[in-house]
Amino acid sequence: MNSRQYIKLAESLPPRLTRFFARYPPQALLSQSTTLSSSTPSTSSSARDSTASSVEEMTAGQDGLAVPSPFRAQKHPVTGKWHDPVFSLRRQAELVKLARQHGVEELLPYTVKGTEERLRRRAENGLRVKGTGIGQRVKGKESERTLKGRLEKRRQAMLDMPQMIQTWKERGHGRGWKKWPK
Amino acid sequence: MAKKAKSRTIAVRLVSMALTGYYKTLIRPRTHRPLSMLKYDPVVRKKVLFLEQKRGGR
Repeated sequence: MNSRQYIKLAESLPPRLTRFFARYPPQALLSQSTTLSSSTPSTSSSARDSTASSVEEMTAGQDGLAVPSPFRAQKHPVTGKWHDPVFSLRRQAELVKLARQHGVEELLPYTVKGTEERLRRRAENGLRVKGTGIGQRVKGKESERTLKGRLEKRRQAMLDMPQMIQTWKERGHGRGWKKWPK
Repeated sequence: MAKKAKSRTIAVRLVSMALTGYYKTLIRPRTHRPLSMLKYDPVVRKKVLFLEQKRGGR
């Protein structure tokens, strides 16, 4: 049966992935599991897992919808504030990598770290470095932005330097000097 | 309370007139005229004129 395959699959997965799937059952399996009574993808046969999955099912049943994606920021329905995703981008990428190794990436919710999305972006942008496209430019640090002007000023000052030293010597080595720098 | 007496000498900053931002800090008597001298500026790698910065601030 299908469910038996899933059981086998779940047993072969690393604990990190099984924990994830127990907490966030894949959408495809969830719709099947409602018909198949209590078989959820998390089938590590421990009491804790089964209770957790049953609770999950209950909440899902109440909402009529699945659990919101843990890979996306959620707007709180009451306060209207945005909450960060349950999994950070780094952890999302780690989960994707792990799932890809075990061939279950399709079971994960949509994430920007997914292979498909990555390939799509690569096709769209190629090997472009950020800020080098048409009409884009890198702002840079202030020192980088003003470098040219400063060097030009310095060059000009060095050109005027012999004249300046000459006048300085003529005015008694600073005795008659009026223009002191600020 | 009596005010604290001013020190006889002050520390002054001589800035490079090559506009490199390089400066040297020297000590001179308070009543002395402002310092100025030719000194080596490592940024432009030349001897250039150093002038005392106007004091004040605050």
